[in-house]
Amino acid sequence: MEAIWLYQFRLIVIGDSTVGKSCLIRRFTEGRFAQVSDPTVGVDFFSRLVEIEPGKRIKLQIWDTAGQERFRSITRAYYRNSVGGLLLFDITNRRSFQNVHEWLEETKVHVQPYQIVFVLVGHKCDLDTQRQVTRHEAEKLAAAYGMKYIETSARDAINVEKAFTDLTRDIYELVKRGDITIQEGWEGVKSGFVPNVVHSSEEVVKSERRCLC
Amino acid sequence: MSDKDDIETEGITEATSILEDENCEPTKNFESVDQSAKSESKSEPVASTRKRPESKPSSDLETSDVLPVQISQAAGKETVSKDVPQTGWGYWGSWGKSLLSSASATVATVGQGISNVIEKAETSLGIPSPSEISSEVQYATGETNAKENENPSPMSGPFGVFSTISTAVQSTGKSVISGGLDALEFIGKKTMDVIAEGDPGFKRTKGLMNRTSTLSQVLREAKEKEELWTANEVTMETDKKTHYGLLFDEFQGLSHLEALEMLSRESEIKVKSILNSLSGEELETLKFELEQLKEAFSLAEFCEEEEEEKKGDEDFTREITELFSQLHVSSKPEKLTRARNTACEWIRTPLAKPLEEKEEGKKQLEAEKIEQINNNSIEDIHAFAIRSLAELTACSIELFHKTAALVLHGRKQEVTAIERSRALSQMTVVLCKELSSLSKEFTTCLTTAGVKEKADVLNPLITAVFLEASNSASYIQDAFQLLLPVLEISLIENKTELPEA
Repeated sequence: MEAIWLYQFRLIVIGDSTVGKSCLIRRFTEGRFAQVSDPTVGVDFFSRLVEIEPGKRIKLQIWDTAGQERFRSITRAYYRNSVGGLLLFDITNRRSFQNVHEWLEETKVHVQPYQIVFVLVGHKCDLDTQRQVTRHEAEKLAAAYGMKYIETSARDAINVEKAFTDLTRDIYELVKRGDITIQEGWEGVKSGFVPNVVHSSEEVVKSERRCLC
Repeated sequence: MSDKDDIETEGITEATSILEDENCEPTKNFESVDQSAKSESKSEPVASTRKRPESKPSSDLETSDVLPVQISQAAGKETVSKDVPQTGWGYWGSWGKSLLSSASATVATVGQGISNVIEKAETSLGIPSPSEISSEVQYATGETNAKENENPSPMSGPFGVFSTISTAVQSTGKSVISGGLDALEFIGKKTMDVIAEGDPGFKRTKGLMNRTSTLSQVLREAKEKEELWTANEVTMETDKKTHYGLLFDEFQGLSHLEALEMLSRESEIKVKSILNSLSGEELETLKFELEQLKEAFSLAEFCEEEEEEKKGDEDFTREITELFSQLHVSSKPEKLTRARNTACEWIRTPLAKPLEEKEEGKKQLEAEKIEQINNNSIEDIHAFAIRSLAELTACSIELFHKTAALVLHGRKQEVTAIERSRALSQMTVVLCKELSSLSKEFTTCLTTAGVKEKADVLNPLITAVFLEASNSASYIQDAFQLLLPVLEISLIENKTELPEA
């Protein structure tokens, strides 16, 4: 079951309370949709393997954060060790879209000196009739911050795989190019194990050595 | 200033009270005893709750726990009866403890300790001479010794490590808590090591303790080594199924442990700074209250209720749910109880089935089928046992993590920190007992299923189940101790910020 992977990426999922973060992650990791779910306490953990190219697997460690304000001080602590993130809002909840700025500002403060590759996710797209945020304005906002935009539904399993795998692929490209490197004391990207084969990315190995101190 | 001094002194006592445990051992383990450490360890045994309960009880329990030799000597003492194997496999809880206390002993007498532990573990398990393992251990510890000596520690010698810790406590002004925790984690690490060495299957986790790090780091490292090993040498599914570390991580135990450590560390820093900001009577009152809280964390009940008769199936669920409700936090222990009930059902199924079938159909075919089931089972049982232990431990740690988050950031409750601590302490006891009884049931299954197996096939599997159960109990107890700073800060906040919503 637990197969061999090339890298391990830590992804963080953030956004307002009740936008559906946990449901999205559960759909992705467990393949099912939980109708009722209790609000997340602090932070929860999930993991799944993603095959980005034939034979090339990435292990995703997904941190599901509580949207509730009272847990903010806990969830903040997790930005730093994440390489990627899904920033969710609920397309039927305008307020959650307006708060996207704040979420980005907050991560910017707490992620230093690292950076997180974010994707903006408009969730609950199955509820199109109740839509309060147009695709166009969401795309505009995403572009302004250099993010991709994707609309998902955990209930109808729309774009859930795509949201995670696209992000994973983008990060993988950055790692391959050496824009993101493995660093001691940073959990965002970790090298995995490949049977009897050297790691494909030389930069990664080099940077690993450099940081041993 | 004065309170800073206090902290430092306590820090030393903390470290040395662990040393004290070793002083209970025969002197043959002490070629040279650091003079200062010795004199300090003579100071009265402060209720240092940062330690595991194993090292806390009075010295006669301690001694009987530590060395096999002494157990036979002290056969008359009542504590011994707990140690003497009753089922043929021994009372795991006690040898779990002996592993731990010997583990701390090993810190001082690196060479002998480990082999003693293994001898002890193996004897109580009824397993033949561990000479092979011992020689291997000697080799391994030689390695560690060398590595330790490389450290430019100002105080080398038998107490090198702990003196370093207490020095660190002094020089950096680190509080009791961190000093104690370091020691605790070190012991945990040592335990890991001991266990790794004791089980030939875990050889690859050797050298775990070479770095000073937190428990979750140690576990993570061990897991990564398992991964590496699995990747390089074994691709068989069956083998992967029995890697406790991998499974523990799969159930997100490591992540929750890490998260809990984070909350614990933050709280610890806050408590420290609050204590530093207080003085006079205010400080004394708070210190007194914190002391009471620590007492609630001492797991004293662990020893007292050991000989309780077996409880029914629903009792665990009821007990845990009841205790959890006493915490007044907004989450429920359902995941844990579900995991535990699944394990219990599984245990019962393979045992019950063949019996029923035997009664109903007397055909030869049926009998062969049963045989088949039993033959397949021994590895399956082992794999399932390890998996269940890993899952239960991960769930328990998750529960502690959630509790910490809710205690820190939940809504105000009509429950004091002390009440919560007592409930948590009780819960830890219940969890550890459950692990103990589960491991017994699993090994009974193994024995039944493997009745025709040779001892050298069956025994390692049984040993592994007991070792991992003991391991699991230590993780849970470590995680429990991480809650202390969290409840300390909650106590302080309830006191000072009552009007706040």
